[in-house]
Amino acid sequence: MPLLEILGLTQRFGGLQALTNFTAALEEHDLVGLIGPNGAGKTTVFNLVSGFYTPTEGAIVFNGRPTRGLRPHQVAGMGMARTFQNIRLWNDMTVLDNIRLAQSHWLGYGLWDAVWRSRRYLRTEKSVEKKSREVLEIMSLTDYVEELPKNLPYGLQRRVELARALSTSPRLLLLDEPAAGLNSADVDGLIKHIRWIYDQFHICIWMIEHQMKVVMSLCQRLAVIDFGRTIATGTPAEIQANPAVINAYLGDDTL
Amino acid sequence: MQRRAINLFFLIAAAGLVLATKEGFFDQYILTVFMFMGINIIFATSLNLVNGYMGEFSCGHAGFMCVGAYVGSLLSVAFFSSSKLFGDPLFPPELAPVLFPLVLLLASLAAAMFGLIVALPSFHTRDDYLAIITIAANYIIISIVENIDAIGGPRGFSGMKRVINSMTDVADLPWMLIWVLLGAFVCITFLYRLMTSTYGKGISAVCQNEVAAEIMGVNTNKVKIIAFMVSSGLAGLSGALYAHVYGYVNAQAFNILKSTEGLVMVYLGGMGSLSGVVLAAIAFTLMVESLRFIIPAVNDLLHAGGLLPAAFELSQIWKWVIIPLILILLMQFRPEGLLGNKELTHVFPRLKRWVSFK
Repeated sequence: MPLLEILGLTQRFGGLQALTNFTAALEEHDLVGLIGPNGAGKTTVFNLVSGFYTPTEGAIVFNGRPTRGLRPHQVAGMGMARTFQNIRLWNDMTVLDNIRLAQSHWLGYGLWDAVWRSRRYLRTEKSVEKKSREVLEIMSLTDYVEELPKNLPYGLQRRVELARALSTSPRLLLLDEPAAGLNSADVDGLIKHIRWIYDQFHICIWMIEHQMKVVMSLCQRLAVIDFGRTIATGTPAEIQANPAVINAYLGDDTL
Repeated sequence: MQRRAINLFFLIAAAGLVLATKEGFFDQYILTVFMFMGINIIFATSLNLVNGYMGEFSCGHAGFMCVGAYVGSLLSVAFFSSSKLFGDPLFPPELAPVLFPLVLLLASLAAAMFGLIVALPSFHTRDDYLAIITIAANYIIISIVENIDAIGGPRGFSGMKRVINSMTDVADLPWMLIWVLLGAFVCITFLYRLMTSTYGKGISAVCQNEVAAEIMGVNTNKVKIIAFMVSSGLAGLSGALYAHVYGYVNAQAFNILKSTEGLVMVYLGGMGSLSGVVLAAIAFTLMVESLRFIIPAVNDLLHAGGLLPAAFELSQIWKWVIIPLILILLMQFRPEGLLGNKELTHVFPRLKRWVSFK
């Protein structure tokens, strides 16, 4: 059984058909990519998968359970985490607090524990903090624990967001353009981090990415969408040679 | 030990205040000002939870204070004093000093329930629209209270003085001062602990990026319910204390002007700064009380100088010009408030040596 199964997903925004009959299946330990020109509907796929939109038609089955009707935080609780194309960190909280809060789904204590400082509260906070520091260590962010994300350079903010997603111990990690806006040294670092995460945690990673360097060196399979339709699937080498894909990216010159 | 210094200081200050009052060191007016400071601290810090930490704009906070004031007053009169409305007291009046915290608790819980009026629409609305809903909630609550004739309707409700008197009969202490100090302590501790826990950070996350919060596993609807209910519950606590300090409540005391006072205190102190809002509440109370003397003085001065026609008197109504004016000036020149979203210990790091809140 695939970890994530998407069947005939269609999404309309008013008169705009953003996604048409999108189908995909991701296995437990996959590292796959979703590419396509700007406005093709890639982020819409991620927004549907993470429960932020409810699909007009079609079904998403995560971990054997349909996610229709679940709220995004519930989907996250089933083991899905994501990063965002435009970084969405909590900017007035320290980096450590950003990571801590991402684990709130597993807190297991309530308002009264927090206010009483009960034993359960102290125990939970201790383990949350330990876990958070471990993740920051993995992502080489230990020097920035007490910084506010808004004061960090762009590349580090991306890394904090990745750390935040990782801290939830996801089974499926969605990365929305993780390399956007990074310089080439940062991109190499990112590839190394993603590769390491993939090997270390045996999770499934699905990424949207424009930079061919990232996609080609990481992904086992790719799907290409254009105007909301899947135009090609296959290995990176196959995709690179596919005329329909080249057409979609470079334009049709038979005008 | 050193890090406990500030806690010890507050304990000694509170004990000193109570003792000095008991010995008749302060006259009734000064004492009332002290108590209003405490009440305003509770009122303003609770509003800060929603307007500051969560970044929503609640303009009807006094409505919840009204619920707390009435529920608290009715319960304490029903429990500890004989009245036309409730007949004989439910408990012997000697129990008043012991059971009064229960009255405060129930008043807070009742106000917290009314907090749902605002919390539920907040799932779908934000910002200006939610602000309008909060004003409506304020008016709904006042209208409900004014139209229940059994509890006095627009005439107001009284009888709490008898309850305070029966407390004083048990032990000759300045009881209301003690309850206000305790209330302020409970409120500040509650909010501090909530906002330093990972659980409470969810409230700040709703303000800073709600989409990220929801997608990263924070149940934002639950967080909003918690924030609105805690906020209105604590407002209810301040209302119950207010009613007992005055010995009389009237729904019109909790109209939009009272809510505005809360906004001034929050924006003066800095949104999302607990220590800033506490300081602002103290400063604001002192300022409003000093207007009682300043306005007549200015009035006399202007008349003496012949700058005002003899038929025109500056009255205390000018308070309601000056308070909103402060709000306008604040928004114009320092929209983030005195401390912004920082705490005192961030602005003066050397304070950290003396402070250890747990």
